[in-house]
Amino acid sequence: MSKGKKIGMYLFLIIFSLLSIFPLYYMVCAATNMSVDVVRGKLIPGTYFLENYKSLIANQNLYRALWNSFRNSAVLTVLCLLICSLAGYGFEVYHTKAKDIVFTILLTAMMVPFAAIMIPMFRMFSRLKMVNTMAAFMLPSISTPFMIMMFRQASRSFPKDIIEAARMDGLSEVGIFFRMFIPTMKSTYSAALIITFMNAWNNYMWPKIILQTNESITMPMLVSNLLSG
Amino acid sequence: MKLKKVLACLLAGTMVLSMASVMTAGAASDEDNKLTVWTWDPNFNIYAINKAAEIYAKDHDGFTVEVTEIQSDDIESKITSAVQAGDLSTLPDIFLMQDNSFQKYVTFYPDVFTPLSDSGIDFSQFSAAKVAYSTLDGTNYGVPFDNGAVINCIRTDLIEQAGYTVDDFTDITWSDYMEKAKVVLEKTGLPMLTAQAGSPDIIMEMLQSCGASLFNEDGTGNIAENDVLKKCVEIYAQMVADGTLVEVTDWDQYIASLNNSSVASTFNGCWIMASIQAAEDQSGKWAITNMPKLDDVENATNYSNNGGSSWAISSNTSHKDLAVDFLNATFAGSTELYDDVISKGALATWAPAGESDAYNVPVDFYGGDTVYAKIVDFATKTPSNTTGAFYYDARDAVGVALSNITQTGADVDSELQTAQETLDFNMGM
Amino acid sequence: MGRKKKMTMERRHNLTGWLFLSIGVLLICWTSFYPMIQAFILSMKNGLGVNLKFAGFSNYLRILKDPTFKGTLFNTFFYLIIQVPIMLTLALVLASILNNKDLKWKGLWRTCIFLPCATSLVSYSMIFRSLFANDGFINTLLRGIGLSPVMWFANAWTARFVIIIALIWRWTGYNMVFYLSGLQNIDYSVYEAARIDGATPRQTLFKITIPLLKPTILLTTITSTNGTLQLFDESLNLTNGGPGKSTMTMSHYIYNTSFVQSPNFGYAAAMSIVILVMVAILAVIQMKVGDER
Repeated sequence: MSKGKKIGMYLFLIIFSLLSIFPLYYMVCAATNMSVDVVRGKLIPGTYFLENYKSLIANQNLYRALWNSFRNSAVLTVLCLLICSLAGYGFEVYHTKAKDIVFTILLTAMMVPFAAIMIPMFRMFSRLKMVNTMAAFMLPSISTPFMIMMFRQASRSFPKDIIEAARMDGLSEVGIFFRMFIPTMKSTYSAALIITFMNAWNNYMWPKIILQTNESITMPMLVSNLLSG
Repeated sequence: MKLKKVLACLLAGTMVLSMASVMTAGAASDEDNKLTVWTWDPNFNIYAINKAAEIYAKDHDGFTVEVTEIQSDDIESKITSAVQAGDLSTLPDIFLMQDNSFQKYVTFYPDVFTPLSDSGIDFSQFSAAKVAYSTLDGTNYGVPFDNGAVINCIRTDLIEQAGYTVDDFTDITWSDYMEKAKVVLEKTGLPMLTAQAGSPDIIMEMLQSCGASLFNEDGTGNIAENDVLKKCVEIYAQMVADGTLVEVTDWDQYIASLNNSSVASTFNGCWIMASIQAAEDQSGKWAITNMPKLDDVENATNYSNNGGSSWAISSNTSHKDLAVDFLNATFAGSTELYDDVISKGALATWAPAGESDAYNVPVDFYGGDTVYAKIVDFATKTPSNTTGAFYYDARDAVGVALSNITQTGADVDSELQTAQETLDFNMGM
Repeated sequence: MGRKKKMTMERRHNLTGWLFLSIGVLLICWTSFYPMIQAFILSMKNGLGVNLKFAGFSNYLRILKDPTFKGTLFNTFFYLIIQVPIMLTLALVLASILNNKDLKWKGLWRTCIFLPCATSLVSYSMIFRSLFANDGFINTLLRGIGLSPVMWFANAWTARFVIIIALIWRWTGYNMVFYLSGLQNIDYSVYEAARIDGATPRQTLFKITIPLLKPTILLTTITSTNGTLQLFDESLNLTNGGPGKSTMTMSHYIYNTSFVQSPNFGYAAAMSIVILVMVAILAVIQMKVGDER
């Protein structure tokens, strides 16, 4: 690669990274300064962090919300990765016409606006007496067409020879999945892990409806309480 | 306020994973002496309900309330979800509801509420206008809590530069007000008012000050042919054009404009005092008076209302008698409670509380004026208005019309016509 | 005999496949399709609050007469057409740059570009609202370089512009992650070979990267289309649909119909079904074009 192109590439990355970070930096400045300074547009991180932090924990169940969010997201992520990758693998590696059709139908499940199925879903869980449970929070997002599709698409680059070779060696189909597929697909799994964890952590609408007690508060709910407080 | 928010965002956003303490969730017990409550503001109504419980517990050993902090619109969406799911068992014993939403919920979801008319609570001791919000077809469904009487908060130091005192803004009309606002702008360079763009709060306050509303007696929408409304919108648009009313992006900016001295006055429900008083360095510079009244409109007054809320007892409660007795003994029967919560800006609508000495205490922040007594006086003079089940639909439609008029200079008549059509569409099945 | 054995092998594998995907599919049927059917039944009912009556397709006819729905439909498709192509191209370019073996400080770049996705939807909307506020940072900057400040949220087009900027900021890194993971699954020797054959970076991108990434590109296109057509949080938190209703999205309107205005769940459900059909049609087209084996 020529020197000019290299410089251009780095320049592009630098500009893009700066643009990505700046709004977050702005937020940090806002969090660590007195509100007066923030209004005046001061853009250097201040020394006010500890004071602000103290006033936050004094008022709110910060630790409880952090723990709830972390626990819910972690358990959800592990289950989601396992179930969705298994399904995605099943769709692709053993693909048949029938499975492709099922998959296309499955895709429509991710296209319903959440506002539409929120009420029926709530009704379903409340009939099962599952309101305020961690399971009710997790169940709708454990298996998503999106994650299944992600693993289905990724499985396409998983070499068929590996599967054949493993079968020759007498490995069972389940064994191939756990011993061959998972280690090879590390980068897909880590991407899926990040995405699922983030989504679970930031999920707001559903927990807001299904989790109604102080004990089950999550971070986004805490933030929204602060926003209007 | 703002500080807490940004910090909270930072924490939630960047995931500070400090797993310092592990809290185990205690299952909610079904004790006979405990009431569950949904309400939203720790410094205001949560404080008040806890205080009420404290007072009630003096005569009722072991009584406690378990308060869950839930935003008012979330309380509403939770009630909606519960009703739609046909399962009210998730509702608490008592919840607080915005007065503006009360009619909507009582109309569409009457099963959620416990009727309170024959419960022994004496509603005649509350101001009639206030009780009307939580009454449908003669049945009471709520116990009034705080008052939203409109107060005109003025920066005395700023209007002084234009040669005015608070008296120049007391008991005046809008035409007078608009002229004075121009002088203030000229002398100080500051607008008289700031408002959140797209929010018709000011319009609604002006309407109610004339006893007018967006609905006819028979419940149909009254926007396109509503002369009072048209007048209000024209005043608003004229002030925006004069530069004496500046629209800001959101609520935070509105509060910031008050706190950083970039506006000469504001008027809003009296709960705005808490936000104004947050700028402690401005103590003594603020004064409170009534709002201007409309010229040439029958029944026009200098008094109005914005916001306020009432307590409701859910039909799900297994402690109905306890809940009624608790509210009756506190929010409908304890001057001690109201004397205490006044420090938080919670003004009573319960008549006996207004006679208490606590209301005649001079407040230094407002130049030593007895502002609480003043506000109680305003509240009693406020005309009542109809909110009705479609209040938010109507309000939303007017808000859209207002932004089109002020921001793109659209024609008032045709925009109000469109708003009427939107409302009719929502009301029509 | 060999043929017969192969048949049973195939059948066994077919069954194994069904077994593998069964848990996921059953869960989706339970938590998505069942509520979806309920929503469809609801869309045939009419009334406010809980007093619903069966009304056939009247809710669907009502949509045709609703100017607000048409407005939100326009906004949503506007976001879709402008934002999705820009975002996906940017994500693809960034991913292929970051996949370059010679690049230094890879982790740093990756983290920087991914960080926006870690921000919660509520917080990032707040940041952008304050950045673009009347006396916010962007306007301070504009004044600083001698331009007149812009009232971003007072005009329909500038407000839509802010939403698009915010969307690109928030979601480019997200899509980049998929491309990057897709690229990392491609054996690096393919690139080595291309380099030895003297392929230019542009050729590598169009001849190797894009064809090999096709499954991933299809994935991101479908999810971005779907995500944009269901856009909700940004419309609610960033502009609250304003000025007027000029930035409001379809999902935001549906939410308002259920929870803010007088509750009309039948109508809200009917609008959701319309969105579902639109997304499904787009997805089927995209699948047809992109999912050839």
